[in-house]
Order: sequence, then C-alpha cells, then structure tokens
Amino acid sequence: MQWQIKQNETIDEKIYYAPLEGGPDLYVLPRTGYNKKYAIFSTRFGSIDNFFRAAGNGEEEITLPDGVAHFLEHKLFDEEDGNIFDRFASYGASPNAFTSFTNTTYLFSCTDFFAENFKLLINFVQNPYFTEESVAKEQGIIQQEIRMYQDNPEWRVYFNLLKALYEHHPVRNDIAGTVDSIGMITKDILYKCYNTFYHPRNMAIFVTGDVSPAEILELVTENLSRRTYPPFNEMQRVYPREKAAVSEKKITQELAVSQPVFNMGFKDTYDYLDGRELLSRELASELLLEMVFGKSEHLFTRLYEEGLIDEHFSAGYTAERSYGYTLLGGRTKDPEKLHEKLLEGIEKVKKEGLGRESFARHKRKMRGEFLRSFNSLEFIANNYLAYRFRDIEFFETLDVLEELTLEDMEKRLHEHLRDELHAVSIVYPFRQ
Amino acid sequence: MISLDSKTLPVNINIHLLPTPKFKTVLVTVLLHQVLEKKLAAKTALLPAVLERGTVKYPSLRDLKIRLEELYGAELGADVIKKGERQILSFSLEVVNDKFAPGENLLRQGLLILKDVISNPFLENGTFKRDYVHQEKEQLAKEIRGLINEKVNYALERCVQEMCPTERFGVYKYGSIEELDPVSPEGLYEYYRSLLKNNPMDIFVVGDVDTEETFDLVQEAFSFPRNGGPGELPPMEVYNIPGEVRYREEKLPINQGKLTLGYRTNTSYQDEEYVDLLFYNGILGSFPHSKLFQNVREKASLAYYSFSRLEKHKGIQLVGSGIEVDNYQQALEIILEQVELIKKGKISREEMENTKRALINLYKVVGDSPYSLVNFYMDGLIGEREEGVDYFINKIEGIKEDNVVAVAHKVYLDTIYFLRSEDGEGGEQS
Repeated sequence: MQWQIKQNETIDEKIYYAPLEGGPDLYVLPRTGYNKKYAIFSTRFGSIDNFFRAAGNGEEEITLPDGVAHFLEHKLFDEEDGNIFDRFASYGASPNAFTSFTNTTYLFSCTDFFAENFKLLINFVQNPYFTEESVAKEQGIIQQEIRMYQDNPEWRVYFNLLKALYEHHPVRNDIAGTVDSIGMITKDILYKCYNTFYHPRNMAIFVTGDVSPAEILELVTENLSRRTYPPFNEMQRVYPREKAAVSEKKITQELAVSQPVFNMGFKDTYDYLDGRELLSRELASELLLEMVFGKSEHLFTRLYEEGLIDEHFSAGYTAERSYGYTLLGGRTKDPEKLHEKLLEGIEKVKKEGLGRESFARHKRKMRGEFLRSFNSLEFIANNYLAYRFRDIEFFETLDVLEELTLEDMEKRLHEHLRDELHAVSIVYPFRQ
Repeated sequence: MISLDSKTLPVNINIHLLPTPKFKTVLVTVLLHQVLEKKLAAKTALLPAVLERGTVKYPSLRDLKIRLEELYGAELGADVIKKGERQILSFSLEVVNDKFAPGENLLRQGLLILKDVISNPFLENGTFKRDYVHQEKEQLAKEIRGLINEKVNYALERCVQEMCPTERFGVYKYGSIEELDPVSPEGLYEYYRSLLKNNPMDIFVVGDVDTEETFDLVQEAFSFPRNGGPGELPPMEVYNIPGEVRYREEKLPINQGKLTLGYRTNTSYQDEEYVDLLFYNGILGSFPHSKLFQNVREKASLAYYSFSRLEKHKGIQLVGSGIEVDNYQQALEIILEQVELIKKGKISREEMENTKRALINLYKVVGDSPYSLVNFYMDGLIGEREEGVDYFINKIEGIKEDNVVAVAHKVYLDTIYFLRSEDGEGGEQS
C-alpha cells in the first residue's frame, strides 16, 4: 500500500493518506515535539440517520427510534469480557466517544503504549457485543444524561430553535433521543444499525501526534488482513422533503435561569450539497456573519452598549449535506427587543452595503484563526474527518476562503439573511 | 520538556519564557496577583472588563477589535482566575507566529496593545470613563446572577459557599452584587493604580521565539513605574478538621438532582503529600476507571456523571453527581462507601497501576498546549513550587498504596449540598 501525500505550505502541514482496499480510509498527520498522540475512528452514522433503506433484503425500509446512534456509541465500549475502558486505562490512555447529527467518533489520547492503544481502538470498534441486560442497564445512565441536558438552557434553546426551523428533517430531534424513545431501543436494533453503518467503507481513521506513518500503516494492514468484510452495499439514507419556509416562527420555554436566553436561526434553502461547493457555502456564510455581527462591527457595539448582549454573543453557520443554517444569540435581558434590533441591523447592512475594508479584515482574521486552531491535535483530527465525510478536503479551507469576493458576500447576504427564513427560540426564567 | 527561562525586570515584574518550536502561535500572558476577599472581589473582577473597553490609542471596544483583527485575528483575553484564596487578573494575547505572516511583526504589535490595555487605559477627566464602568457593572452583575444557569457548576459553587461561609475561599470569583453596586469610576481607578503599582506581576511568553530578543521586547513594552520589593499576599487557610457534617439543600424547578459533597483534605499544593492526595483523588473519582464512575455509574446506573475534583491550593475536594432526587440515599451511600474503602486500603493493583499511568499521562501532555503550560507554572508560582513536570512524574512513579491510605485519613467530609426539585422523596429527613 502506498501513501498519498497531501501537503499544505501555508500552514506547514503534511498528511499521509492511504485508501485501504476494502477497509477504512487512513490518514496520518505527524506533529513532532508533541507528547500526546491522538487517534480517532469515525463512522458516518449520526442522529439524523434514523430512516434508511438497507441494501439487500429487498430494500427494506427501516425507521429508528430517536437516539440510536448515540446509544450504540455508549454500548460499543462493552466487550464480552468486560468494558474496554479498563483495557485502555491499563495503558494510561483516556478513551472517549461522541455522537453528532451526522457522525459517531471513537477516540483515545495517550503518551505511551501507542501501538497497544491503537490496536484496542481498531478492535473494539469492530467488535460489537450487545445483550438485552446491558442495553437495559445503559438506559438508566442515558436517562440521566438526557435529564442533565433538559436542565441546560443553552442546549434547550438550541434544540428548540432547530425544531422551529425544521418541520420534518430529523435534525430537529435531540441527538440522545428522549427518555421514551431510548426505552424502545433493543439489542436487535443496535446490531441492525451496526451492520449497516459500521462497514469500513463508511468509516475512516485519523492519527496525529509524534507518530510514524509507516508503523501505523503496518498496524492497520496487519489488523485488517485478519478480517473479511462483506462487500459494501451502501444503505440509502432517506431524508424527508423539507419546505424552504421555517416550521414555526417562535418557540419558547421556561427554565430555572437568571435571565432569558435567545437564539435566532436562518434556514438555508438547498436540498443537497457536498464537496468544495459546500465548503464554499460554509466559509462565505461564516465570513458574512463576521461582517454583519462581528465584535468590530457597529451592530455588535450598539447592542453591547445597550446591554442587550454580552461578550458571549456569537454567530455561526452549520453546513451539512442535507441541511444548513445560521445560528446566533446569547443571554439577554430583553429578547423581544434584541430580536427587533437584530432584524433592523440586518436591514441596515442590506441598505448600506458591505464594506471592502471590513471584508479584507475579517478574511484576515479567519485565516489567523484557522492557523491558530492547528495548535490542537483534537481540532485537526476531528475536523479533518468531519469534513472528509462531506467529501471536503479540509486543507483547501484557506484556498476556498481566498477565492471569495465581496460580491459573493453581497449575494449571500441577500439570499440567506431573509426575514421569511428565520425563526427564534427563547428560554425565559420561570414567571412567579 | 520545555524549560522555563526566568528573569526579573528592574520594575519588579517577573518574565518567564517558554521557547518551543511546536506551536503555530505565540502566547503572552500577564498575571497580576491579588488576594481573594469579599470586599475586593467584585472590584477586581470588574477591572479586566473595563480595561478591555479601550486604550488611549484605541479608545473604544470597536477600535481595539479592529486593530486585533488586522493582526490576523490576534486573540486578546482578560479575566480573573480564582486559585485557592487568590484572585488573579489575567491578560493574554495570542498571535500567529511571525513566520506565517512575514513582515507583519505580529508579536511586537500585539505586545504593544497588551501593554496599553494594562497600563494606558482610556480615561475621561483623569479617571475611567463613566459609561464604560457603568456598562461593565451591568454586564458583571449579569454574569454573577447567571451562575445559576449552568446547574453542574452552580451546585459545585454553592457547595463551596455553604462550606466556607467565613473563609475567603467562599467568595465567588466574580464577587457579589452587594459589593459591586457601590463601585464608582474614581474608586475603581484608584484601586487599579495601586494594584498595578504594588501587587506581584508575572509575564509568560510561550512559542517559537528568540529568548534574548523577547526579553528585550517585553522589557521595552512593560516599563511603567512600579514599587520595588515583592508584594506579599497572605497565606491560604488549608488545615481544618470539621465537626458534624453540614447538610444543606436547595429547591429549584429542575429535572435532575445534583448531589455535591465537600471534603477538607488538609493537604495543599505546597505540602510534600500533595502528590499522594492527587493519587487519592484519581483512585476515587477523576477517571473512568475510578471508584465513583465504576460504582455510581457503571454498576448502579444511577448517574451519567460522578466525579471528584481537587482545588489544589485550598485543599478542598468536591464530589459531584447528577441523579434522580429519589435516589439520593442510595447514591450517597455508594459514594461514602468508596471513600471508606480507600481508607481501609481496599485498592486493587489495577486501580493503583491505572491511576499511576493516567496521572503521568496528564503531566506529560502539559507541554502540548501553550495554555496548559502557563497554567502549570502559574500553579507553581502560587504554591511556591519550582519543580518542573518531571519532578511530579517521578513522584507519581513512587507512590505506594500506603501513601494513598495515609493521605485518605486526613480527608474529612465537611458539607453535603443537595440541589433538588420540589417533588421527589430524596434528601435528608429534617
């Protein structure tokens, strides 16, 4: 097996890539001088993959209870002879995992015994062991995880916003599901999903730290040579058709908080995007949000001086294959007034136009931030695969950013930040 | 390991350089030390926010932010850090290394901004600008009241407050509304002038920099007048053997109960036995292999999280778990049992080995982030310990079960704090 090398001069980084025959794609980014070694094994299976047509079986259609991807993530750590956490612990590693809307990622970081830990990672992710008893036991733990989030105002305001934006798309459901939906999960459902989504062709591995690409390739090929996989018949993910307009203009909830939390979202209108086009959409949107809501802009300063927002106020864009949206907000003393002022601010920018100086400055800032984030091994690995699962080459970020023009921003401003495409979500303190 | 190169400037500022080629950025952190005290905390906490509003050269927040963005999005941060009974003003600036932006002199330009934020604030009639102080007081009040929004942290902080009602450590890092209300621009400015002149000050620089050049650069930038002689801050109160366990409960309309236990360990970062305590905490609850995670979560399925955490300078240990209110008694019993087991020496060989490796791992990665490097050496300054990471790794290697058991016998439960909903059967019967 030969390495393909992806080099990026601007950020001074080099990635070794091996497309393994029938196995997961393998990426290694060596970073000398780091003690930490960080490896992740990801699959393209997230909370939104709750309805699909499995390959074979006469295209059987399967609908899952909410929270299966996350539940499976918890249970994959179980082995027949106990929990794999203990094995990692004996090599001083800290293993973990996380589930997003679109992916599930298993990981560890360590300083010593890299090869031993790496083998554990590859093996446990490919060795499901689910029983009715262990599924039942996990329900108690995940129930507490769900309850913890029910008390978290930032989390609630965010998921309520997604519910307001989307009428049908499963991104409107909590990643962990609900206390009721996880009660419907069985070991058979877990196996079914495992066999569908944990095929190596749906997965990828990323390793970074002071590591040797040759040693890693050897470890992986040796491990894979002992396995046989059925041919990969890709499942068909089915997402319901979603209208352009938002589902509800506003969702509110009361929680034990000191003051309201406000989120505002703009729903993007594409049905499907991937690759460089999706990356360009994401970067254009991020740059636009900087130019409209950034801390150096008049709108932010005005709202801050009026005490309507604080320094934690933020705006960001999420770009996935089947959905995209802008999210902004934070804590505020007066959500209605903040909502009104934000809409006014957007109209003002539309009328006056975006500034050339501001465009150049925010672009520079985004370049710097991208470079700065490369201090973190976790950032590099997690993002590289998350982008790769959208057919995006993460290293092209700076090039695509450079291509954006002020005219692109104007266009994006008028097509995306539109009144009829927005919804708000507010968490209020309990009214006495 | 990256080693520290330190020097004291004639104006009584200590500079510490950590040169390393591995980061893409250079981080400069300036620390101004103050004692944590009820009367001062809100005032001290207000300072970073007011100082970040503008300098003589960049008089508004917007001017300052524009300048920082021009410097490839240089990141300026100012906040207060609570470490034991210290409240430390921390100003930091992170710039992309000059090699990625040739000809821009990002480090020099950034240092000048940082220095201006600290020593040339925007003034109006010889004092802080009234509007800035007024607005930042409102923002800080919001922050203080906002503690309740995050229930996990709220429960831990409330436990500390109940546990230390008369100690300095019981003061919240942002102070209280009562102490914040009367602060005036004049009073705040006078207070800051004295703080800047007299209190101990340290500067850290981490990144791929030339040592001599950087010393000169920092010395040139930070040349404002200060008093000689190191400002002494009072020592921390650590040793305390509590009497009867305090039980406090608070009711809020919430879904999940938060059970928090506050322990006095009678061991601080300054003590020889600190590493023993760190080890004890690892056995009890800082890792997935620890007794709390294994027993409260994995065996009994009572919680998603159950951990123990040390406040190393004050020597307080907090144990936190998110549980059903009805399961209070069962969870409490399991937690107390784990503590007893360690005291009795019921620690398996695996628990010893796994904890050893996990702790060594944590120390080895200190050098992998500029922020964790600064944090490690900051702890050293406060705890008056000069040892590097290797010292701690060696100590951990040598820990025996006896050390853990001995330190466990100095740990006393002081307070149980239970944050709970109105309904449910849990809690102590009163």
